[in-house]
Amino acid sequence: MDAFIDALNSLGQGFMNLTWEAAVMILIGCVLLYLGIGRKIEPLLLVPIGFGVVLGNLPLANLGAQDQGGVINLLYTAGILTEIFPVLLFLGLGAMIDFGPMLANPVVLIFGAAGQFGIFITLLLALGLGFVEQEAVSIAVIGACDGPTAIYVTSKYARELLPAVSIAAYSYMALVPIIQPPIMRGMTTRKERETPMAAGEKQVSQRVKVLFPIIAGIATILIAPMGAPLMGMLMLGNLLKESGVVGRLVDVSQNTIANLVTLLLGLCIGASMLGGNFLTWDTLLVFALGFIAISMDTVFGMLLGKLMRVLSKGKINPLLGAAGTSAFPMSARVVQKEGQRANPRNFLLWHAIGANTGGQIGSVMAAAVMLAVLSGLGIGPLA
Amino acid sequence: MDWSFGLTMTFAGMGITFITLYLLTLLIRLLNKLFPFKNGEEKKGKT
Repeated sequence: MDAFIDALNSLGQGFMNLTWEAAVMILIGCVLLYLGIGRKIEPLLLVPIGFGVVLGNLPLANLGAQDQGGVINLLYTAGILTEIFPVLLFLGLGAMIDFGPMLANPVVLIFGAAGQFGIFITLLLALGLGFVEQEAVSIAVIGACDGPTAIYVTSKYARELLPAVSIAAYSYMALVPIIQPPIMRGMTTRKERETPMAAGEKQVSQRVKVLFPIIAGIATILIAPMGAPLMGMLMLGNLLKESGVVGRLVDVSQNTIANLVTLLLGLCIGASMLGGNFLTWDTLLVFALGFIAISMDTVFGMLLGKLMRVLSKGKINPLLGAAGTSAFPMSARVVQKEGQRANPRNFLLWHAIGANTGGQIGSVMAAAVMLAVLSGLGIGPLA
Repeated sequence: MDWSFGLTMTFAGMGITFITLYLLTLLIRLLNKLFPFKNGEEKKGKT
């Protein structure tokens, strides 16, 4: 009889060890699952992240990202702490991106630089709020509007912030259609938004499309070698696509690798969101600073857009500035929608896609430069 | 707050990002001049 009662006791251990923090996190995991499944908001990310949060916070399950020897801990150690997952994701991204619109109208590439300004404003704010250098850089990279880049930098320099930074980065990427339009409308007159642009579809030689990832990859990596893993994989993926001779590799990069890594990355990030390290004041600050970062990206992109409109004597629609973020293709779609709202005959998508792909390159460059400066100043990862 | 770190990072980060992307625009223009699109290319070269 005693043995039977002992057995029953051991069955209830999970309930006995459930803390309020874990219960709150499980609830948050369920909310993420609802948003992904019920509301179809970024389901590819929110479903694995949400379930990862639930699994990681179940007591005694040994499925948290920090639970030594657990299955998810093995994936987390092998895929995130080694930075392999974000790097592989860039391979898939490169294989999906079409640099054609940017190559046909290279001036839009400059918007990709202005779209990173929020990173540096946020860096100063984070330092002002008392975050140490490595943490400030990791939080600021949310402004890259680029989940894999944010994860890459944070896993290198401030691992304790990884759950908050990655969730903030992906959340704000998904919220770009809500965050950007009010800023775009507030910073432009109707006349500016109505500015017509040629429909585009200018053709680019296939040789240029093949040569660009090779030459741009070499040049950018020589300038900022710290970003080599991200830039190298982005350009390799694009070269595979544009070369036209390795269809099977393109297929596996665009689908198998990108999907598998997204699944495992989401699961690991979710399982790293534990009550003790996530329900903190710092997490709220990270989310607030991330919001400022993405808003500032849009503000400075719009300012450059207005300047370019003046310099081009009214040939460039300033809305394109908002597409300089790395949130691909969300920002480009927002620009198209706002452009057509002001002038139904406006067709900005082609140009906006060019600026948006420029934002992809700009975000990796900005992150690479920050890593290089940290390294140059002798600042290493937090212990 | 470490202003020297923040300002170094801001100026170096923004400056180098801008310069790099500007250099890339020049590179793309050069490539487009060296290899202009020719009619009929799309049919044989498209991936």
